[in-house]
Amino acid sequence: MPAVDFENTIALFQYPFMQRALIGGIVTGLTGGLLGSLTVVRQLSFFSDALGHSTMLGISIGIVCGLSPSVVVLPFALLFALGFNYLIEKTDLWTDALLNLIYSSSLAISVIVLSLSGTYQGNLNSLLFGDILALQPSDLIVDGALLVACALFMGLTLRTQMLMTLHEPLAIARGVNIKAHRNAFMVLLSLVVATSIKAIGVLLVGAFIVIPACAARALSRDFTSYVLLSAGLGALSAAVGMLASAAFNLPSGPSIVVAQLLLFLGATAFPSTKAFLVERHF
Amino acid sequence: MSVMSPQSLPLPSANSVLEIDRLSVRRDRRPVLQDVSFSLSAGTDVAIVGPNGAGKSTLVQAILGILPCEEGQVKLLGQTLANGQIPSAIRDQVAYLPQNFLVDRRIPLTVSELVSLGWDKLGLQFPWARAKARRLAVRSALERVGASKLASRFISDLSGGQTKRVLLAYCLVRSRQLLILDEAPAGLDVRGEADFYQLLYELKAEQGWTILQISHDLDMVRRHCDRVICLNRRLLCQGVPETTLAPENLSATYGSEFVRYRHHH
Repeated sequence: MPAVDFENTIALFQYPFMQRALIGGIVTGLTGGLLGSLTVVRQLSFFSDALGHSTMLGISIGIVCGLSPSVVVLPFALLFALGFNYLIEKTDLWTDALLNLIYSSSLAISVIVLSLSGTYQGNLNSLLFGDILALQPSDLIVDGALLVACALFMGLTLRTQMLMTLHEPLAIARGVNIKAHRNAFMVLLSLVVATSIKAIGVLLVGAFIVIPACAARALSRDFTSYVLLSAGLGALSAAVGMLASAAFNLPSGPSIVVAQLLLFLGATAFPSTKAFLVERHF
Repeated sequence: MSVMSPQSLPLPSANSVLEIDRLSVRRDRRPVLQDVSFSLSAGTDVAIVGPNGAGKSTLVQAILGILPCEEGQVKLLGQTLANGQIPSAIRDQVAYLPQNFLVDRRIPLTVSELVSLGWDKLGLQFPWARAKARRLAVRSALERVGASKLASRFISDLSGGQTKRVLLAYCLVRSRQLLILDEAPAGLDVRGEADFYQLLYELKAEQGWTILQISHDLDMVRRHCDRVICLNRRLLCQGVPETTLAPENLSATYGSEFVRYRHHH
């Protein structure tokens, strides 16, 4: 591992592309952590992963049709979320089995589509692992808008989401429209996963949703602090990962995921850190 | 035999909390309940008894607007439910405790948070809206049920008896008129069940709750309830427990084997 040169590391962040990568990482970490908190306790972790993999099909079709992947990926993710919800309601299958069915067939079709195009082989690597350093200002605007939408959704419906997550019949008896809430959550989650793929890639996008939430679960003392911590740890790990990537000249996306892993291991190994967290009741 | 046929029901009084009129419900196109009529006066405690599959939980779900009524109507606190839609002002007056309160023990939700969800109106609002009033209501409800010390514990760490106590605080945290309990003390031992009912009836006296409860415990129904409704796909009989739970009615509800079994045990 090369020696750390702090001056060079700081100098690197003077470049606009590094600043965009840092901001993009933090915004994606916040959004992923926020939605990840509910994704994990609702046992939908596999959903974010499967969606990431399936989005490859949308991107491949975009390439073959000569469209920008960013244009194709959002409607495709929406279609995936609504289609998945529809299949869950219509079939009597287990969620993980259905997700496996959808994502493995999407992957298979996307590889065939890509092989037909014959021009995309070189970029497969950035599709799989992402390229956070290539983020454009327009990407940051989309990421920022999604963060605002997710924060509003979580803020305004948090109490309802808590009851739904704990016990659905109790929520139904209180007049909660479970189907509408579930669809809204899935659509937001799909949009977040789809927009994060450019920065983090198909293979690692699930980590942004799942790992900060798991670390927050180990540290939190109530549900509200769990949601906030999950978002906070998502942002912190993105910042730490980007710094480490600049300091040690490591690939950025994987560095962020390793930072998330270290935070998770720390949170799990030292449950006494709970004592330092302020107990909150909203 | 003291049986009141559905046709000979008394006319609903002005202080009716719930009126069910010729209600029929289907589940997956299969008729589960047919032509059920009864009413609940304010402050009464009414039990629904019947064998498994009799449609007891279906009836409760139809009252709560979870299942659509095929025929007939449900009137809750003077309001007729249209297409299962309950106005939120009416819904806030009703608390429901489900048959099984099995929760994923990994969900980090505390006792205070659960009780506070009973206080909320669950519309679109930020969690900090009216936080102080909510906190005070939660503290006082937990104190009343003797669960103040459990406030910051996770739901998953509670014993069966503690969970029921906390669920009663969830009902109590906001003023309500009707409590619908679906085999509420299920899973408790004899002592736990006795404690649960003692607390429930203390709170009923204080709050003036009307209670509709599904029960399999006929002795409890005899001891506590003002009226009992025997249900098996249709309303078979109703009235005061002493006379309504007579062997011939039980036999009509549960089958003759059941009465012979109870006689021998």
